Amino acid sequence: MTPPLVHLLTWLILLPVAGALLIALTRRESVSVQKLLGLAVSLVTFVLSTRLVSAFRDTAGMQFEERYAWIPAWGISYHVGIDGLSLWLVMLTTFLTPLCLLGSWSQIEKGVREFVVSMLLLEAGMIGVFVALDLFLFYVFWEAMLIPMYFLIGIWGHERRIYAAVKFFLYTFAGSVLMLVAFLVLYRAAGIRSFDIPALVAAPVDPALQTWLFLACALAFAIKVPMWPFHTWLPDAHVEAPTAGSVILAAVLLKMGGYGFLRLAIPLFPDAAVRLAPLVGVLAVIGIVYGALVSLVQPDLKKLVAYSSVSHLGFVMLGIAALSTTGVTGAVYQMLNHGISTGALFFLVGMLYDRRHTRLISEFGGLRAAMPWYFAVFLLISLSSIAVPGTNGFVGEFLILLGAWSFSPWMVVVATLGVILAAAYALWMVKRVFYGELANPKNQGLPDLSPREAAVLVPLVVLALVMGIASPLFTRRIEPAADALVRQVREATRPAPPAVAVLEQTAPEPGDAR
Amino acid sequence: MNAVLDLRPIIPAAIVAVTGVVVLLAQAFAPSGRAAPSPVLSLAGLAGALASVWLLAGGRAEGAVLAGALTADGLALFLQAVILAVAVLTVLLSPAYLRANGMERGEYYALLLFSVVGMLGLVSTLELVSMFVALEIMSVALYGMVGLDRARPESQEAALKYFVNGAFASAFLLYGVALVYGVSGSTSLDRITRALGVASPETLPLAVLGAALLLVGFGFKVASVPFHMWAPDVYEGAPTPVTAFMSAGVKAAAFGALLRVFGYGLADLASHWQPLVAALAIVTMLLGNLAALAQRNLKRLLAYSSIAHAGYLMSALVAAPVLAGEAILFYVVAYAAVNLGGFGVIAALSKGGQEPATVADLAGLAERRPLLAATLTLFLVSLTGIPITAGFVGKFYLFNAAVASGWVVLALVGVLASVVSAYYYLRVVVAMYMEPPLGEDRWAAVSPAAALALALSAGVTLLFGLWPAPVLTFARLAGRSLL
Repeated sequence: MTPPLVHLLTWLILLPVAGALLIALTRRESVSVQKLLGLAVSLVTFVLSTRLVSAFRDTAGMQFEERYAWIPAWGISYHVGIDGLSLWLVMLTTFLTPLCLLGSWSQIEKGVREFVVSMLLLEAGMIGVFVALDLFLFYVFWEAMLIPMYFLIGIWGHERRIYAAVKFFLYTFAGSVLMLVAFLVLYRAAGIRSFDIPALVAAPVDPALQTWLFLACALAFAIKVPMWPFHTWLPDAHVEAPTAGSVILAAVLLKMGGYGFLRLAIPLFPDAAVRLAPLVGVLAVIGIVYGALVSLVQPDLKKLVAYSSVSHLGFVMLGIAALSTTGVTGAVYQMLNHGISTGALFFLVGMLYDRRHTRLISEFGGLRAAMPWYFAVFLLISLSSIAVPGTNGFVGEFLILLGAWSFSPWMVVVATLGVILAAAYALWMVKRVFYGELANPKNQGLPDLSPREAAVLVPLVVLALVMGIASPLFTRRIEPAADALVRQVREATRPAPPAVAVLEQTAPEPGDAR
Repeated sequence: MNAVLDLRPIIPAAIVAVTGVVVLLAQAFAPSGRAAPSPVLSLAGLAGALASVWLLAGGRAEGAVLAGALTADGLALFLQAVILAVAVLTVLLSPAYLRANGMERGEYYALLLFSVVGMLGLVSTLELVSMFVALEIMSVALYGMVGLDRARPESQEAALKYFVNGAFASAFLLYGVALVYGVSGSTSLDRITRALGVASPETLPLAVLGAALLLVGFGFKVASVPFHMWAPDVYEGAPTPVTAFMSAGVKAAAFGALLRVFGYGLADLASHWQPLVAALAIVTMLLGNLAALAQRNLKRLLAYSSIAHAGYLMSALVAAPVLAGEAILFYVVAYAAVNLGGFGVIAALSKGGQEPATVADLAGLAERRPLLAATLTLFLVSLTGIPITAGFVGKFYLFNAAVASGWVVLALVGVLASVVSAYYYLRVVVAMYMEPPLGEDRWAAVSPAAALALALSAGVTLLFGLWPAPVLTFARLAGRSLL
């Protein structure tokens, strides 16, 4: 039986909310009921969301659109829809949430009910951000989802959890409020009495004003990504968050930054985006190298993975800054890859922490002998993370570097340095943790992956490989939307609009990005 | 002109005033040893007044009566409904608190009702002398309420402080009225508008000075910086339900009057008072929030937060009247619900003369009272201005009004001040959720009436956060009264 298509996106948002409300009503002691119910709700949400993929048409426009007046006097509507830029990010969210719930089955001991409720509300908020097509609605989801994440870090985190939670909250909140002012100014400047994103994209505002508005939005998104130098909240939040929190944070939350550039900042302010693209590109490249160098010297496994995120997302931002079809496609694809690989890495580090209650690399060594299956998965995921051909990461980074070449060859050269550094820190970490003598007596007799842990990891490993080999399965759904974005920007920034015939000849080659 | 005197606009205030007298008499004639059913009587009276507001809204009794002293236009009716609802919630919160603090006296409810009469008048008058009288009716009753807890010296101190500052503010206000009268030859807002429209350049400075003095007077009442000094002490010292009532009710009434005087009566001087209001808004938002950062005491923290919110509200006052009216009226609703809820939680926990005084007193509340902690979190989230609460929609409109009138700087300061506020609101959440409880649970079980009040506040906060369109429509209609 295939689930119905009507109001599908709304159902994807409402289902986790309804599940959360239901679980909130259960008694505090019924812990297993809460866990099972949470898992069931998130699985049903995932199954429903697969309908998005099967019914998706490989075209550029919005699909599964729904629109209802919300605050009509101000042109605010509940407008949702997805295209190739958001489809897979929604899928990533619905796919990872059940895994996170399963992965934290036995870690969370106190406040299970509140934990499951937070996870489900977080899922609803994240899906909402990816499907919202109205600035007001987007902002509502964007901010509302801070609260459950704040609780996830602050209640179930590690030693410095409160500091990390408050820092996470204030940092992201500070970034987004300026975006709110930018929305209000845009509303007034566009003069179409609407907060509808497609409508506003069609009515670009004065280029001088665009610069300010772009900067305000870009700040919010750059903090979320996070781009260097706005990344300082990330290591704290990642390290202190519980495993499920780190996974969601890395895999989905950070993507909201990149997505924000693609859905809002660039199409709404094309002139400014083109003018400021070099700035974004430079920050991205600095992030790539900086993140990799800092990862290289981290003694803490989780911190290492966290800083590697800064580096990986630098690639994503480079692809976005390139503003070519290939670059943008690669950026979206790389966001998915990072979600899968880094998500899996955080799961793996968390599993090790559950066993040893430490994350210091120096505490380990020779684990290969004690935990062969764990090692195999860890190695595979590390390879995918450093973009070895055959894994998902390779496709993404290759597309980005290819797409960015015409944008700025020297940036590509520096970014490639980051690829090499990534191999260095990841492989060195694998060597120190898994190879050598099993010297530390505490590491002897560590149990290998449990069936539950395997159930969490296997889907991620399979996906990492499938996405490496059968990438067109994914990219062909991204590409039309990426191409449409690039064309829209090009048309908006070209002084005199060219003849239609010329446009049609312009194949989406990476080489003619500008 | 109607031949018969149309007294309909007086009905809501009259019902409340009569109820106040009945409550006093019932107390006096109650059989000794038994308390009169003051809360029930008060609720009945307030409900009757609310119903009359509803009927007046349906009847559309436009136009003012008693030489412009009272009107029942959209603005008046909207704010009267808000004030009456605030009073209802306050009455619900009160009995348990009064019992816990040994101050069950009938005059509490009578004073509350008389204060409401003043507020109802304040928002429905179109004439400056009546406005002053209404303001005094409201304030004198409040002075008494603040000092009603005779066992606590803080309460006495607060009452005195409030009185002295209030008298000061009244003097400013009266002087302002006198100057405006001197320029326009009238105290009726209609005539003032007409007179100022054709005022000669020589009289202009006098009118501007009058406007500034009026602003100072109202600045005291809404506790805007630099006229806010009394607020933290008074909010801390007053019995907590009174604090809740003051912070929500006075603000609603005073902003109603501000809208009428500045958005309508002195609209022609806008280019002169707008920079003043903007400056006040900016310092109020900044200082209110920064000072709140340093507070350990819960009621003082909420007091400074309430000062900051006066700043947010003032930042919309610079907008075009209808826009300002819509934004301010909606925010008043959102703010009243949240503030009543916030102080209400503190009041509801009060037991044996004690209540949670510091943020640390709430440590571990989520473990012991999950529902109460979640409710307070909702109020704090709304105060911060985060979706999906009414506080977010409210701030969105306040700043939207500022931006739409070209005051982007006010919106910028406002949102940045909100970030500062997030820090101290979060501290309360941190205490409730992330810190272990200290010692025994020494707080009271929430009484059913208080629980109802908190549930209503929370319901309003969530409902208007998710579905603000109907209230916004009413607010816009009410804002048209300023045209």
